[in-house]
Amino acid sequence: MNKQTRVWLVLSIALSLLAMGNACSNKPEGPASNTNGATAQKKWDKPTGTISGVISFEGTPPAPKKIDTAADPVCGQKNPNLMTDDTVVKDGKLANVFVYVKEGTVEGGDKLADYAWDTPTTPLKLDQNGCHYVPHVMGVMVNQKIQITNSDATQHNIHWTPKNNPEWNQSQPNGAPPIEKTFGRSEVLVPVKCNQHPWMRSYIGVLKHPLFDVSKDTGAYEIKGVPPGKYTVVAWREGGAAEKTMEVTVTANGAAKADFSFGGGAATTSTSSSLQMMPAIEFPMVGKH
Amino acid sequence: MNRGLNRFAILVACATFFLIIAGALVTSHDAGLATSDWPLSNGQFFPKMVGNLFWEHGHRMVATTVGMLTIVLTIYVLVKEKRSWVRKLGVFALLGVVAQGLLGGLTVKLMLPLAVSSAHATLAQLFFCTTVSLAVFTSPSWFEAKRLEEEKAGPPLRYLCTAALVTIFLQLILGATLRHSATWDQKPPIELILAHIGGAFAVTLILGGTGLTVLRRHKGEKFLTRPAMIALSLLVVQLFLGVAAYMTRLASPGDPQPLNPMVGITVAHVACGALVFVSTIVLTLRTYRVLPATHEHSTWAARPQES
Repeated sequence: MNKQTRVWLVLSIALSLLAMGNACSNKPEGPASNTNGATAQKKWDKPTGTISGVISFEGTPPAPKKIDTAADPVCGQKNPNLMTDDTVVKDGKLANVFVYVKEGTVEGGDKLADYAWDTPTTPLKLDQNGCHYVPHVMGVMVNQKIQITNSDATQHNIHWTPKNNPEWNQSQPNGAPPIEKTFGRSEVLVPVKCNQHPWMRSYIGVLKHPLFDVSKDTGAYEIKGVPPGKYTVVAWREGGAAEKTMEVTVTANGAAKADFSFGGGAATTSTSSSLQMMPAIEFPMVGKH
Repeated sequence: MNRGLNRFAILVACATFFLIIAGALVTSHDAGLATSDWPLSNGQFFPKMVGNLFWEHGHRMVATTVGMLTIVLTIYVLVKEKRSWVRKLGVFALLGVVAQGLLGGLTVKLMLPLAVSSAHATLAQLFFCTTVSLAVFTSPSWFEAKRLEEEKAGPPLRYLCTAALVTIFLQLILGATLRHSATWDQKPPIELILAHIGGAFAVTLILGGTGLTVLRRHKGEKFLTRPAMIALSLLVVQLFLGVAAYMTRLASPGDPQPLNPMVGITVAHVACGALVFVSTIVLTLRTYRVLPATHEHSTWAARPQES
């Protein structure tokens, strides 16, 4: 084997390894695998409880900012008073907070990650309406379909920029059929933007389980179907504020309470985290480069 | 010498400058992925130019025009130009614009990876440098230039100019990387900001020193002092624009969308950076044209009629 052949051989092997590494890093998470690589076959079929609460905003919320839609007259016609919606507060209650069970121990000693849930067959809808994403924050399960629609008389593009899933960008002209997409790996939260209309923002929380909810205009949320156990519940909000966590105990047929508070005077315990994505703890974060 | 060729080369250089501005507008508006298609936009040659598609598709239209102009320029050079190295440079310009177009497509298809986007922005500056060089080499002043004596004390100006050029180019690469490392709604990485500020100090020192040396050594020689004065003036403007760009970019993540002050200032910073680069290129080429390589007598620089 001459020197040139050896060089090419080494290069080929290195490139193959790189390709393999890349392929492995983006391997989808099925509902039937956990962090240890063991099969998560367990399903909780006994009585469950709920976790509910209210998200408050302490102090004066930042005033919404007016969005200039002059670059696309269709947006201005359909939504003449388009404002930013990163902090929606009504009567001191904060909407669009993604609350989810991050980790925990189910009654009997098993970890939450050892259990599997069926992926809902009904797609969740993400609509582009009035040059605005509806909903602003949503949660889906891994491999659950998201149906993206364009209700505007103008063109959009949907561009999500995850860290743990493949990046995706797709134009959707007005009148185009809905697009259905899924996320193969859990990630909290995936930012979604429209490069056509740079003010358009949405966030999708992707989890392996259905134990999440998004706070309504009243600040209320409710997570149903939680197996009895002790859990860490996390509340995430857009806008650079710290993420809030709380330890919660759920009993069978019980209703646990977990109220969170954001804003200047908020006293809830929190971990310091930026507005950026944070991986759900039950899965290792395999960086997408 | 062909005056028509020179005028056309100047036209292509100006069009390239306009293209750099159009590209910078795309980056500042975060419009690079306004369509997932390439080379068409939303499957059309002429899509409805609304929203950020105006900037992205506009950039593609300007780029197409520059590409066509470059094809004509290359043919023009091959037909009219006698000097083989200028003919080669004409072909290089064509290859450069083709590579640049492909890199632009790659940025869209790969969704703006930092390395590709930065390479696209850097190659834009190199292509601009090529078209400006063609304009310099075909200009009457290039043919009419007379040999000058290099001052015996101090380093030769050729070396100083080359050092300034290399420093500016490295600074342009840093700037391109900084601009493409974060969109308007994200804070740019502090390490790159510091590196770019350090680069600004280096450029100020080296280009400032070079320009002042030119003005001191060759007072009255407009062939050298004019590009030196232009480069120095642009450098001052660029430093102010840099500070303003930094301040507006620090504030932009809190804005609901890319606002005109941030867009205008960052684009002006890119454009002025390109002008600092090419004015230094003109100065460097002219220095090589009329000054000897060392303090010793050079025969190369004494043959303007041959090159």
